Amino acid sequence: MNMANNKRYWTGLDDLHQTEAFQELQGQEFPQHEAIDEALGNEGLTSATTGRRDFLKFMGFSLAAATLAACETPVVKSIPYTNKPEEVTPGVANHYASTYYNGQDYVNVLVKTREGRPIFIKSNTATGVGHANVRVNASVMGLYDSARLQGPHIAGAGSSWDALDAEVAKAMSASGRKVVLTNTVLSPSLQRTIDTFCESHGADHVQVDAVSHNALRKAAKLHTGVDTFPGFEFSAAQTVVTVGADFLGTWGDAAYYESEWVKTRRPENGTMSKLHAFETVMSLTGTNADTRTMVKPSEHGKVLAALHAAVTGQGSVTGLDERVAAAVKAAANDLKRAGAAGLVVAGANDVDAQLVAAAINTALGADGTTVKYSGDRLFAGDDAAFAQLVQDMNAGRVSALVMHGTNPAYHAADKEAFRTGLAKVKFSVSTSWFADETTARCTAMAPDHHWLENWMDLRIGGTRVDLAQPTIQPLFDTRAAGETFLAWAGQPAAWYDVVRTTHSGGYTSEAMYNDVSWNGSLHDGFYMTGEAMPASAAAMGQDVSASVRKLSAAKGGAFELALYQKQAIGFGDQAGNPMLQETPDPVSKVTWDNYVTMARVDMEALGLNTYIAQRDKASVVKVTVNGQSVELPAFMQPGQTPGTVGIALGYGRGDGGENIGRAAFATGENGEHLQTAEGKPMPIGANVFGFATVSADGSPRYDAYDVTVEATGAEFALAATQIHNTVMDRDSVVKETTFDSYLAEASKPKGQASWNKNHTLTVHEDVNGDGIIDASDGKKTSAFDLWKSHPVEGVGHRWGMTIDLTTCTGCSACVTACHIENNVPVVGKDEVRRHRDMHWMRIDRYYASDWSQERGAEEGVGVISSYTKMEDPSANPQTVHMPMMCQHCNHAPCETVCPVAATTHSNEGLNQMTYNRCIGTRYCANNCPYKVRRFNWFNYQGYAKFQHTNPSQDSLTRMVLNPDVTVRARGVIEKCSMCVQRIQEGKLSAKKAGTPVEDGTVLTACAEACPTHAINFGDLNDEASKVRTNANNNRSYHALEEVGIQPNIFYMTKVRNTESNEA
Amino acid sequence: MQREAAIREPLILGHKTYKDITDDVVGPIMGPAPLGWKIMITISSLIAVYGVGCILYLLGTGIGTWGLNKTVDWAWDITNFVWWVGIGHAGTLISAVLLLFRQKWRMAINRSAEAMTIFAVIMAAVFPGIHMGRIWVSYWVLPLPNQFGSLWVNFNSPLLWDVFAISTYFSVSLVFWYIGLIPDFATIRDRVTGPIQKKIYGVLAFGWSGRAKHWNRFEEVSLVLAGIATPLVFSVHSIVSMDFATSVIPGWHTTIFPPYFVSGAVFSGFAMVQTLLLIMRKGMNLENYIHVKHVEYMNIVIIVTGSIVGVAYLTELFISWYSGVEYESYAFINRFSGPYSWAYWMMMSCNVISPQLFWFKKIRRSLVATFALSIVVNIGMWFERYVIIVTSLHRDYLPSSWGEFHATSIDIGIFIGTIGIFLTLFLAFARFFPVLALNELKTILKSSGESYKNEQAK
Repeated sequence: MNMANNKRYWTGLDDLHQTEAFQELQGQEFPQHEAIDEALGNEGLTSATTGRRDFLKFMGFSLAAATLAACETPVVKSIPYTNKPEEVTPGVANHYASTYYNGQDYVNVLVKTREGRPIFIKSNTATGVGHANVRVNASVMGLYDSARLQGPHIAGAGSSWDALDAEVAKAMSASGRKVVLTNTVLSPSLQRTIDTFCESHGADHVQVDAVSHNALRKAAKLHTGVDTFPGFEFSAAQTVVTVGADFLGTWGDAAYYESEWVKTRRPENGTMSKLHAFETVMSLTGTNADTRTMVKPSEHGKVLAALHAAVTGQGSVTGLDERVAAAVKAAANDLKRAGAAGLVVAGANDVDAQLVAAAINTALGADGTTVKYSGDRLFAGDDAAFAQLVQDMNAGRVSALVMHGTNPAYHAADKEAFRTGLAKVKFSVSTSWFADETTARCTAMAPDHHWLENWMDLRIGGTRVDLAQPTIQPLFDTRAAGETFLAWAGQPAAWYDVVRTTHSGGYTSEAMYNDVSWNGSLHDGFYMTGEAMPASAAAMGQDVSASVRKLSAAKGGAFELALYQKQAIGFGDQAGNPMLQETPDPVSKVTWDNYVTMARVDMEALGLNTYIAQRDKASVVKVTVNGQSVELPAFMQPGQTPGTVGIALGYGRGDGGENIGRAAFATGENGEHLQTAEGKPMPIGANVFGFATVSADGSPRYDAYDVTVEATGAEFALAATQIHNTVMDRDSVVKETTFDSYLAEASKPKGQASWNKNHTLTVHEDVNGDGIIDASDGKKTSAFDLWKSHPVEGVGHRWGMTIDLTTCTGCSACVTACHIENNVPVVGKDEVRRHRDMHWMRIDRYYASDWSQERGAEEGVGVISSYTKMEDPSANPQTVHMPMMCQHCNHAPCETVCPVAATTHSNEGLNQMTYNRCIGTRYCANNCPYKVRRFNWFNYQGYAKFQHTNPSQDSLTRMVLNPDVTVRARGVIEKCSMCVQRIQEGKLSAKKAGTPVEDGTVLTACAEACPTHAINFGDLNDEASKVRTNANNNRSYHALEEVGIQPNIFYMTKVRNTESNEA
Repeated sequence: MQREAAIREPLILGHKTYKDITDDVVGPIMGPAPLGWKIMITISSLIAVYGVGCILYLLGTGIGTWGLNKTVDWAWDITNFVWWVGIGHAGTLISAVLLLFRQKWRMAINRSAEAMTIFAVIMAAVFPGIHMGRIWVSYWVLPLPNQFGSLWVNFNSPLLWDVFAISTYFSVSLVFWYIGLIPDFATIRDRVTGPIQKKIYGVLAFGWSGRAKHWNRFEEVSLVLAGIATPLVFSVHSIVSMDFATSVIPGWHTTIFPPYFVSGAVFSGFAMVQTLLLIMRKGMNLENYIHVKHVEYMNIVIIVTGSIVGVAYLTELFISWYSGVEYESYAFINRFSGPYSWAYWMMMSCNVISPQLFWFKKIRRSLVATFALSIVVNIGMWFERYVIIVTSLHRDYLPSSWGEFHATSIDIGIFIGTIGIFLTLFLAFARFFPVLALNELKTILKSSGESYKNEQAK
């Protein structure tokens, strides 16, 4: 039998069984009559109403419609990854270790990227040293600044790298001095490329720092014979005396000092270091000092000399004010008691002052404990060499000048000399990111990669080598400076290879050769080498009597000037960063401006306005130093030494209208750029680097002993986020005590100690059982409640926070971290002046007042006038910094009043804000006792008033926005969410890992950014968590506890290391 | 027939017949518009247009065009709202409460007082609307079944209570006013000759034929509505006051607010009635219907309510001291001695001191003095709300957040604009509506008309 004949193919069961219906259908061409037959049948056709003309009409319409549809609004294409990069998952952040260095701030960081975009910078805690500060946090914004140079330029016009390289080759063949001018180079690789360049063209390398710390190195060299920046170890100190050094803010390696110093400031340890500050301007350090003494700049030397005399017992200093002398004596006693754990730091960039300070430290035996001379390479700028260079430039002796990381046309003490000199240099080029004051005047521009786009290695000293890696492809046609140097040296090489090579030979042991270690080091952001940098010598015990004599002989004038750096602005390199401009100065709370700080007595003598508010403008004063003068608004600064004025460096950027970022220029009432008389955008404030007194060795000492201050009669609006300075006797806002009274009651349970008593309400029943009903019968506020409790205690998570007022220095790192994490709108000066800053996280700063109701009662002054007197801070006040954000009240007043339930309580204790439900009645904001709710007064993303200030109005800068956080629309309320996006992320990853949420894995931006760990975040229901432990601590309390709103945020009583009798 | 004691002053002066009353009220509607009216409505509508322009600018640009800030999130907006709602209190009080108390003198003033109420409540309703950040979703305050998810309003919120209170008050007042107007519209309908006017007034008259059955129902409905409206007079402003009283802000968190707000509202409402009627009686020759006795009665209400308000102010001060709460006591010390003390003293002198002048009969019966004082009271009552809102907010718990408030031109423009809209509406009312309840007046002509009274006395 043929198998093929047996095979039968069938189309369906009907076919197989050959049903009747199938057979019938099989004979027909079409299986059945469809309705279409009827429609098209002859009968239908004749009666159809759709004729030929209609057909053409429909045809025409369809054609037109299709054509119109094709012309729709620009098609936005989003292109998915064809091949998804292994490490990038949309929606999941990647973190890369890197290192920030701008010539002054030096921090190991982690860069958070989302879909390949860096959006957030935080500390890399793996190194265990230093912590990102306010300037470092905000620096990510600079990457996306559309004012950045987008490629090489020759003679102001865009060019190509090849053309520029040829141009440089030509310039280098000319005769004359050739110089590479940089900031302090800490990168071994970059140093190598510069050396190569210098060798091949016979050029010199000169380093100059924006704010010189040259005297510290010189003094260290004289004192020990080692060329080093002194390493100050604040964590080893028991007594710290600072004479004008703002070591918590902007002086020296402040990002390192702050987190170290605070290690000695935890009262729970039973010991606390003591900080004596002698200073002119109220600095961040001064606000944190246990005792603070106001001295004039000319007295800084005398204070040091007197300290030296008191500590060594040799000689004596006369001419000091009795008040100052007493403070010096107290400080000296504390220093002697601390011995090797004593530390004196001096801020003056003056060799004599630094020598005497070093001598005191040596006399205390502190060398090796709190001071180490170990070859640190920070602040290697050489002012004398720079002065010589400027001289040569002006004499026409310099033929080529290559600059990197420096902007001397802005920060040179004699910037005009530099500018005229630069014009005489035949070929000048700068690798700046921006066409800044210097770069714009160069003949060529060779922009470097932004630090977030670049490889880098950095080493201060010791055995740690830090690495920086690119976190994004270069946005523009830029080239790494090292690669540029090598190209110009005629030895082109890829920058990555250069960096890589440095670490496969230069410093390291065998293990570093292989890629596993290299990748591991990149992952960590650093590695430890076996070999320390050459350094370390014992102090040589230099005789400082000559310096002491010189310091004691300083004479001051009627008015003296101290120049300082502000926390957010620093030396001005990030002037175009709107977030930093809007970050209130931690001391003055003024944003967006430069001003002259003055003491009240001096302002009153000159008839100046001491009160700044929305419509109360500051008086403009004219400050004249050595024939140069500047007109700036005067700001009444409590703690400012009478007879002195202070002006911040870092302002007046872009005085020639250079394109350094839109936010770098002053804006008017409608957000427009104000214009100078020449029609250029007006810089913010004034550049006062030129006011520094330059000593014989070329180093600027950032003060002047004889200045004149005159009222001009003009007025100028300043924008401050806080206009009321004192706490008005309100004892449930800030609680503070002294260290000895803390110790006396340290073991008392929470709520019992005199410095943190439970708030009680007097009731008409015999609570204490003494048989009488009187004022002492009180119940805790939590006993009174209108509302049902939210079931948060002990159920699931209950997110909470503790903020230690003792360790909070007010540095504001949390403010920028919050700002950038949560896409908080930047609103510009005019809106801040109208009290409409949008900060979710702010730091309330309160000064102590001389007056209190108690004192009023004693002196027979009425309650009302006492309140008025209390509004004035003391002349030299104690200060408290109090971070303030949404307190996530369990009985939140905002939640009950919202008519549409747009703000509600989560079952994890969060007070949550639903933006798209909000209709904007602002009732919640009114009813918030902490005033932390912020309203979107305008469409910040589109309204013209914010075009120069709000990052989201720039198509490039808006890349910095955090995709996890909604950008809020006009007309809705917003506020701290306790970084709910981070909580969610933490919960999800814990769920994925199948573990409970571990304490410390979820951190809010502020807690993470806090260099002193004053802010702790966690789950209050987790008994073992840090935040629970802190909340149970007897120092913790709720702000405004008696309002009965039961916040989830605890503050911890501030402890000052003062004797209770001297407070 | 009802009789009235002879020593009572007559309510209708001169010798008026029923026809005279009809002529006096309907005459102006039928005649050409007087020049004064044309001038006034031109000015007020220009102001209204300016105000609408400011409102559109506000809606287009954002709430930031006002002077509000992070500390003071309400200021002129809610001040104006409460002020207008307060003014809107007199009408219903006059027509409902006085109706229940059988106060016949209300008949001369109730119509225009009610019109004023309606218009004032409309003006008041503008502010909660435009003060919202996102007015385009303002309907979310209504408990509408929706498909947005399980979204529902928050019944804990006093703002929601406001929505109900104001809308109830507005609708009841409107119905009450309209019911009262029906017989009068019918009278006009019967008189006007133009076909369009006849049609319009015919529709408005709602088929009124003047039958006894109609009159019977009219009386009953009026009484029922008066019964409904009377509690509303007290509830509306009580609820408005709870916007403040239920909050935690020192200076707002006060149990005295509901009665204090209600009497303040009646106080300001009567003052506004005085302001408007004194002009209207002159302009429309209604001196015989609204005369010194009416003014005097209203001035007495003003003394009483003004004194209640004064006592409330003093009570607040006392309690702030007696409570021993430092925030509370500072809030009040700050009111009278702080940066906004000028507003406090403005309020005190306008609201507490000035109405006391009405104890003097001469002043009470002086039309010029009454007019001047009514304006003073209106200013004072505006400042009362400003003081409560702005001075309480600008310095509350944390001194770090203490701030200031400064009004912008848009703040001022919108407020002035609502006055313009209000006056435009009121002038239109005076031109096209029967400004006196003429049919009601006819019921007292024989008992309280001057000539009839004199005859009876003989």
